[in-house]
Amino acid sequence: MVSYRSEVVSICRALFRARRHQYPHYNLREYTKRRTLDGFRMNKKLTDQSKVNEAYAEAKAQLVVLERSVKLYSLYPPKTKNIMEF
Amino acid sequence: MASKAITSTIRRALSKPHGVVSRRHHLSTAAAAATDYEDESIMMKGVRISGRPLYLDMQATTPIDPRVFDAMNDSGINEYGNPHSRTHLYGWEAENAVEVARIQVAKLIGASPKEIIFMSGATEANNTAVKGVMHFYKDTKKHVITTQTEHKCVLDSCRHLQQEGFEVTYLPVKTDGLVDLEMLREAIRPDTGLVSIMAVNNEIGVVQPMEEIGQICKEHNVPFHTDAAQAIGKIPVDVKKWNIGLMSMSAHKIYGPKGVGALFVRRRPRIRLEPLMNGGGQERGLRSGTAATQQILGFGAACDLAMKEMEYDEKWIKGLQERLLNGIREKLDGVVVNGSMESRYSGNLNLSFAYVEGESLLMGLKEVAVSSGSACTSASLEPSYVLRALGVDEDMAHTSIRFGIGRFTTKEEIDKAVELTVKQVVKLREMSPLYEMVKEGIDIKNIQWSQH
Repeated sequence: MVSYRSEVVSICRALFRARRHQYPHYNLREYTKRRTLDGFRMNKKLTDQSKVNEAYAEAKAQLVVLERSVKLYSLYPPKTKNIMEF
Repeated sequence: MASKAITSTIRRALSKPHGVVSRRHHLSTAAAAATDYEDESIMMKGVRISGRPLYLDMQATTPIDPRVFDAMNDSGINEYGNPHSRTHLYGWEAENAVEVARIQVAKLIGASPKEIIFMSGATEANNTAVKGVMHFYKDTKKHVITTQTEHKCVLDSCRHLQQEGFEVTYLPVKTDGLVDLEMLREAIRPDTGLVSIMAVNNEIGVVQPMEEIGQICKEHNVPFHTDAAQAIGKIPVDVKKWNIGLMSMSAHKIYGPKGVGALFVRRRPRIRLEPLMNGGGQERGLRSGTAATQQILGFGAACDLAMKEMEYDEKWIKGLQERLLNGIREKLDGVVVNGSMESRYSGNLNLSFAYVEGESLLMGLKEVAVSSGSACTSASLEPSYVLRALGVDEDMAHTSIRFGIGRFTTKEEIDKAVELTVKQVVKLREMSPLYEMVKEGIDIKNIQWSQH
């Protein structure tokens, strides 16, 4: 039985620290943080191996989309700060 | 020597990544008109705001979800063929992409992919449904039933039909915004060709009793059209359970791109309609014209995402709605929610503040992007027809504000919106002599205003 614990923890940490995983846009940044954390929490209790594999594969696919998306969105940052960022 | 200096300057200028170009070199005219370089605040239409306002107008439109945007890019760049070209790879690829999107949209509503017609938005879908069905059956069916709170495009299409000689019944709604089922039953005649009732109202957020209405329409064998632009992806929609014949959908209300929508046209039993756009017979002959491949893909991706995230979003948005309402109610009295609280989509909160003037409230709330009750009729000074249909008093209808909460709204934004709203309402009420009189116990409605 494959245990993903170490990989999962490292992905989680990387997602929250790396600048390449953070949008320059306030709403998207907050949403990504919240959704990633909740996504990991919701799948924490899975025991069925096939479901665990599925969740892990989905997380990796989402990571690819996220990195590409952040790169693109960082090329067009908002020109003024959001009111919430003051 | 000079050429070396020139080339090195050019290389240095080109090597700076695009996003780090200093503000003074922005060439876009919109930026030049809108930004003030000195203190980085925005000056537009005579109003100065310190930064981008927080967005609480999700019923008007929603930002594109980055995952949806990502799904549009690859195909938009590479698969640029016309999906109706049958002879080469570009056409086949584009057609496959459109079919994938069709399946995604169909799955969200519980329909078959063959029943989805892509259009340019919910307005076109509403027009096609209302005018198309009635024109097809114009020899036998002369009557249309709709409600007074429908979207402008449905009401305007019905008015157009009236000018052509059809009869239209505009059903009144109860004070909580719901349709009275008995009235609907009585209004149906043997020559009724269409019943059109929207699923979730865009102004007050009320969810109509769709199953019961569908049942009534089935009993009387009348096609049931619904404008579900605000409903799909937010509340569970099942066309078979609701017995729907036609359904209009819009992409930009569910975090998709603007400019695309769809019409669901039932095949069993078949609903016939006359197309609005004539041409090469694309989309089952009901909507000719090249399919907007990139937008359609975005729509499909948005529907797919909405299906997966519906439960999670619903929980989050419900929590935020309670936070907003309780936050405002704790600090203010005289706050009325327009529309039924029980049968409501949680992302839409339409509040009326008593003893406050509407325009001044909105002008003071420039750091929160909300809309007033009269959003669709914002050109005129009249309060919204939806609120008038609910029976709301003129003065309360003027002060209504619609807060739209969505997937990307944060708790801090809601807290800030509460703080700003409360501050503005308190300030306006302090200045208001009517509020003073109410506080002293005088009943405003019984005052005899004397003329000087």
